[in-house]
Amino acid sequence: MQFKVIGSNVTRPDAVKKITGKALFLDDLSLPGMLYAAILRPDVAHAKILEIDCTEAAAMPGVVKVVTGEGCDFRYGDNIRDLTPMAVDKVRYAGEPLAAVIAVSKRAAQDALKLIKVKLEPLPIYTDARDAIKEGACVIHELNGQFEALPKFGGKPNTNIANEYRLRKGDIAAGFAKAAHIIEGEFDYPISSSAAIEPHGAIAWFHEDGSIECWSSSICPFIIRDELARAYKLPLSSVRVHIPELGGCFGYKSDITVEQTVAWIASFVPGRPVKWVASRKEDFTSTLVGNGLRIKMRLGATAQGKFTALETRILHTTGAYADTGVHVCIAATHNSTGAYEFENCDFEGISVYTNTTPVGAYRGYGHQCSQFAVELLIHRLARQMGLDPFELREMNYLGPGKVTALGENLYETNGDIRACVKIVRDEIWGKAKPDNDEEYVYGRGFSAVMKSPKGAPFSTKGVYLKFNLDGSVCINAGGAEVGQGLRNVARQIAAERLKISPDRISVYTEIDTQFSPYEWQTIGSMFTVQGGRAIMRACDKAIAMLKRTASQVLRLDEDLLVYDGDFVYLSTDPSFRVSVPEIARGYIYPDGVTVGDMVQTTADMRLPRYSNFDHNGQGALGVSYTFGAQACELKIHRKTGQIVIEHFASSFDIGRVINPIQLRGQIAGGVVMGIGATLTEVLRFDELGVMTNPHFSKYRFPNINDAPKKQSIIFVENPEDIGPYGARGIGEHPVIGVAPAICDAIYDALGLDIDELPVSKDLLLQALEKTA
Amino acid sequence: MSLIEISLNVNGISQVLRLDTRDRLIDALREGLSLTGTKRGCDDASCGACTVIVNGSARRACVTGVKTLEGADVESIEILAKGLKLHPIQTALIEAGAVQCGYCTPGIAMELKALFDKNLEASREEIIKSLSRHFCRCTGYEAILEGALLAQKRLKENN
Repeated sequence: MQFKVIGSNVTRPDAVKKITGKALFLDDLSLPGMLYAAILRPDVAHAKILEIDCTEAAAMPGVVKVVTGEGCDFRYGDNIRDLTPMAVDKVRYAGEPLAAVIAVSKRAAQDALKLIKVKLEPLPIYTDARDAIKEGACVIHELNGQFEALPKFGGKPNTNIANEYRLRKGDIAAGFAKAAHIIEGEFDYPISSSAAIEPHGAIAWFHEDGSIECWSSSICPFIIRDELARAYKLPLSSVRVHIPELGGCFGYKSDITVEQTVAWIASFVPGRPVKWVASRKEDFTSTLVGNGLRIKMRLGATAQGKFTALETRILHTTGAYADTGVHVCIAATHNSTGAYEFENCDFEGISVYTNTTPVGAYRGYGHQCSQFAVELLIHRLARQMGLDPFELREMNYLGPGKVTALGENLYETNGDIRACVKIVRDEIWGKAKPDNDEEYVYGRGFSAVMKSPKGAPFSTKGVYLKFNLDGSVCINAGGAEVGQGLRNVARQIAAERLKISPDRISVYTEIDTQFSPYEWQTIGSMFTVQGGRAIMRACDKAIAMLKRTASQVLRLDEDLLVYDGDFVYLSTDPSFRVSVPEIARGYIYPDGVTVGDMVQTTADMRLPRYSNFDHNGQGALGVSYTFGAQACELKIHRKTGQIVIEHFASSFDIGRVINPIQLRGQIAGGVVMGIGATLTEVLRFDELGVMTNPHFSKYRFPNINDAPKKQSIIFVENPEDIGPYGARGIGEHPVIGVAPAICDAIYDALGLDIDELPVSKDLLLQALEKTA
Repeated sequence: MSLIEISLNVNGISQVLRLDTRDRLIDALREGLSLTGTKRGCDDASCGACTVIVNGSARRACVTGVKTLEGADVESIEILAKGLKLHPIQTALIEAGAVQCGYCTPGIAMELKALFDKNLEASREEIIKSLSRHFCRCTGYEAILEGALLAQKRLKENN
């Protein structure tokens, strides 16, 4: 297929505003009469609230009001409604909102906050699911099991189990009976943060007319709208949510979290907008954290190496509220096969309430955690069997004719993992590994990758398209631009379909639930696939409208007309034609009589035949899959244990490359995020459940020196039928194979098996000592 | 709370600001002057998003106390483009694909301006050293480095 715009490096529409500092992010917004909130957090992670004395704080100059959670009579959430906007009666994690000061300036609010006096009665604290799940553990939620929840979701009363998900495929006992080799392991992918450079925040404004307006640095405006409307008993149309530019997301600005807290605070000062923006510390302690999964896995294979069975047991330190983390555990569980077929599966994912910051989405949505486990087990199995790990994998890849753990059939349109494997193998193993020298030891490692999206029955993405009188086009969609470049993708797809230059298409700069089409939420790397297809549908409808008007004007049948971006003309004789500007608002005859319609269309797209899981935990939850492979060559400094990633190679069957430079940016950035998760990033809690390193100076975020010295990023393009022009999702994928590839390379260099992330410096140094 | 009056030259314009003595330069720029292009990312000088130029050197505005700034020359991202004409650092970063979410971008652009204003012959290692003061979660840094090198090349050609 020949493309004009797809596959070319169109400059992104937001680049100039961002590089000039003129793009407006949440904290850049200022509204007339705006007040500022500062929020008090407890210094202990689990306690009864005995007293909150606000009198002194309330008397401070500039203070408008001091508020607590007292009197809050609703819970919220979009999966398990276990959240309250502020602590009521109890605190369940150390970052939880306990009280707030509303003042005329940020400084006044922060100063007064120090004068609030709180009396708490400590309760037992659990920062690890393994402790919280023990028999007799203090129950964190007295109402566990009674919260409103999605069908098949919810906790076990009088325990800290927030949700249990089970998946069964085939016959696990028979699978292990057939196995000549069985290998097992336990792996930990700890709590870390998406840590976008822009901290999370929100503005809420209860208007005198009874409506609510909210601004948030979120990717889920419609979920925020729906949940605010529900909490304050308003029609959805009376809540309006705006999303300005977003300074990164990587998962944790999803669902509804801080918005409900800021709205609760603002509800005490109706008529005044209230702004709250997280400090970096609060962004770590009090928004959403990521991961926190402990994975036990047992894998069986025949004497030849064909996989027969996989048993996965995941224990999730989900945090004090499970609403935002429950699906992370489920996705990690059913995707724990990685890129391999297992005829027999028995998986269990248990979400456990703990006294830690709630877990939410983090780029990869659990895939990176359980595939870290399965990939490392496969490395070890190959060793145990004396097989080349590439050969072992080759026997077991998912692909056409194979069936996923969810029971979904795969076809050629789901992509070719073997092509990706070959590419990264050639990149990394195509040259000799350097010999160990006095300073460094060297290693090479590999991981296959499988990713499916996170959907929902109503997870649609909408588009509004409008032809202007000069034939230029405006597009509104609900996809949140977090930096991934989806607005440019939208523009390129529309330009291709409408056969016009991307310069003639303007895309939305913000989302506004009043003016934007509905989008469930921009998660799961699905905008290109679903939003892109919705744009094609909207374009096709617009072209059909143009042809309908042209058929009246030209007095010709519609099916004989051709649209070329500039004109609609008769296929057999192009001299019978009318220009697009002439018919974009209907056609106006010289006498003023007008025929035809203004060309404005809407469309949406949901994943075809997406379904909930059944009694076996199976169902069409994936629908659109992306496969890939990642590999690296690294060196480890003998004295310091410092790891230098010399070369990192990634290949994905992307289906169709829409914008090469943006795509490369996604992969290059994802790989470095994965390097952070593998080597340095972890959030730690002390015995009071207080996070000990919620600062960039203490949370080791990768900088330019941690990035690979070279990245090879190569795409395979076997088109999928769902996405636009065959494109698949890619945003989260490059994170997934990084940890297993690096850990495989560490083994190659040192003979050291890694079970827990981030990779322990002490273990590295001990292993290095042995090689000395 | 005590207030002080500070005279500053911000982006070529002399201004007198009344500020809280505890304020940092980032507060003066963002709240005092509505120059919101300077971004707040960490409050402990780790991320570099708030980088501006003070008396010719790159500084983290989030830890620069205003009391020290009497009479200082401050340049923020808003000074970089001249009217509709972008600075070569800006066009180079765009062309290299270094702009994704854009939140760290102004700080990086100002870091590079400070570097190249002082030393247009900066080595690749010196450029990397400057960029190592900045966090970017989006790009993986390779496009930023490429943009920096391209900007240097263009600036040299313009000289």
